Amino acid sequence: MLTYRIHGQMVPVPEQAPPPQEGPEYEARLAEFEARIARGEKIEPTDWMPEEYRRQLIRMISQHAHSEVVGMLPEGRWIPHAPTLRRKLILIAKVQDEGGHGQLLYRAAETLGVTREEMIEALLAGKAKYSVVFNYPTPTWADVAAIGLLIDGAAVVNQLMLAQGSYGPYARAMKRICYEESFHIKQGYDAFVALATGTPAQRQMIQEAVNRWWYPALMLFGPSDRDSVHTPTLLRWRIKTKTNDELRQEFVDQYAPMVLRLGLTLPDPNLRYDPETGHWRFSEPDWEEFWQVIKGNGPCNAERMAARRRAHEEGRWVREALAAKAARQANGGGDGRYAMASL
Amino acid sequence: MGNLSRMPEPLREAVGNLLLAMADEEVLIGHRDSEWVGHAPILEADIAIASIAQDEIGHAILWYSLLQELGWPDPDRMAYFRDPPEFRNATLVELPRGDWAFTVVRQFLFDFAEKVRLEALMGSAWTPLAEAAAKVRREETYHLMHSRAWIARLGDATEESHQRMQAALDLAWPHALGLFEPAPGEALRVAEGIQPPEAELRARWEAEVRPILEAASLVIPQAEPIYGGRAGRHTEHLASLLADFQLVARSGLGETW
Amino acid sequence: MGDTQWPVYEVFLQEKRGEPHVHVGAVHAPDPEMAFILAKEQFVRRGRCVSLWVVPAEAIYASRADEAEELFASVLEKEYREPRGFRVTERVRRWMERHGESLPDA
Repeated sequence: MLTYRIHGQMVPVPEQAPPPQEGPEYEARLAEFEARIARGEKIEPTDWMPEEYRRQLIRMISQHAHSEVVGMLPEGRWIPHAPTLRRKLILIAKVQDEGGHGQLLYRAAETLGVTREEMIEALLAGKAKYSVVFNYPTPTWADVAAIGLLIDGAAVVNQLMLAQGSYGPYARAMKRICYEESFHIKQGYDAFVALATGTPAQRQMIQEAVNRWWYPALMLFGPSDRDSVHTPTLLRWRIKTKTNDELRQEFVDQYAPMVLRLGLTLPDPNLRYDPETGHWRFSEPDWEEFWQVIKGNGPCNAERMAARRRAHEEGRWVREALAAKAARQANGGGDGRYAMASL
Repeated sequence: MGNLSRMPEPLREAVGNLLLAMADEEVLIGHRDSEWVGHAPILEADIAIASIAQDEIGHAILWYSLLQELGWPDPDRMAYFRDPPEFRNATLVELPRGDWAFTVVRQFLFDFAEKVRLEALMGSAWTPLAEAAAKVRREETYHLMHSRAWIARLGDATEESHQRMQAALDLAWPHALGLFEPAPGEALRVAEGIQPPEAELRARWEAEVRPILEAASLVIPQAEPIYGGRAGRHTEHLASLLADFQLVARSGLGETW
Repeated sequence: MGDTQWPVYEVFLQEKRGEPHVHVGAVHAPDPEMAFILAKEQFVRRGRCVSLWVVPAEAIYASRADEAEELFASVLEKEYREPRGFRVTERVRRWMERHGESLPDA
């Protein structure tokens, strides 16, 4: 079970929403907290916050962090096979950024009192969720391009919204992440266009990859507003500022034309531009499949978790060795680098 | 000496052999390092090794580009469309990724070899090489700091870490000596002031790496160098590495990617 | 031994000479030197940096939210220590008017 520290004490992160706290003092603090959010101010780690706010943030940020780290795998598998030196460099840099984003996000979650050890343990024990999209396979090089455009595109739509959120450390991490994600979309689009404007075989590769990734990209925004239990609370406290369906629509409006204008198709017979609303109409993903993948029954859930567990186990001796060495040398380390930092 | 087109033939060939060895080594060690991306012992280390992989591949592109100016095919052609016997790297860099200990030991031995080579080449009589060496040398500063720190910690941190590091060193050392196998044409390169003799570089390298390894409680094995890489003789690992590396480029599905 | 992600070091970065070091994030690392090495690639793989600090997170002594508002509040008038709290030019002007002094045209 996840726990977090508050005033030096370890407190379990409740699996259910905490019982409503009551009393005039609580009401006053809550009013103050909500007024602060209404004024557009950020909440910082040491501020008072409703336990439900803390719980929702830990849930969301740790899931987001896990998604970045697990998300290194489907694309990372193509690093050894990248077809040019430039593509190889770009892909290493991109997957590296995902690790970097995971690192920033775990840290943002840690400011709420939960430790990275605990979050990683929960992931490896199969108790934590991460984005369903990373449980889909990447059978060809074109999948890297399709992910780069569609999945990263969807991620940016989502993250630009999260960067406006009320929790300071999360919003700050998002700001930097969005900046780096703009490189990801550029590289994805570049690789995508290279294939879409290439030989017939390359065009076929990218079309098939688009067919595979279109619905996962739509799933990235989470369940339909009809079924999203968290959304009303998240909106009230500005953890999110738009609903899943609003974001999904934004994504389709922006990205469907980018694919179509290259003469490719999207796997949705209902997709069409509606001049009256100025939006694209589209079919929702198969929600039955979505819930199955969330439950662990997606095509690659087991493979992804096995890869994470193996890396974790194979790295354990390294983490332990450095911790042991540091403990022995706690008072050493006079290499002259400390002087100026004391200014 | 800076004019590429006027380099006389036997020397052009001799300089090319040196650059080829350097470029092949960089691209292959970069590839091996990149196999850690997403799998390293802790996130921060994952990020650092990914940067080092990028740096090494970047250096390879630089050396291949110099080769191109001397008349060889372009960098992608060189990396993706040659077979194992055409590669001129020391066998050290083609060995499988191994555990983190092997990665750290290999990278350390390679980084310091690169350091002494670059510092020597900064005084090369061929200006484009001297200039490129100076540029790459700057980027090595971080690599040296990174490798040295890992060696200093893992060498004697725990019983397990020591055993793994010693085993890694025993495996890597004779292959690392192969980094100083003279590429064909050495006598000519030395006579023309392109580079100092490999034996001299090896002596400088040993003077740097031995004290660091010993301070980390590691024992340097008595072993003969494993040569052959400079003549295109490799371990079986290079063929499987290149099969991975060249998979998409050689698929015949497209010309540009 | 339980698993460890190592302790936390806060990271401060100076982008340009003459500017302050700014907090940019944190790394998990076993010791200061490793924290420095790992922070370099997590926080300086893009962008500018002329100086980098790492500080053990536990070395930071911080204000508490429940006391911060009162602690940092400026309740009573403390304008006397701000530059805008002075009326000296006004007094000079009045003195000049009273004594018929004037400045040469600028």
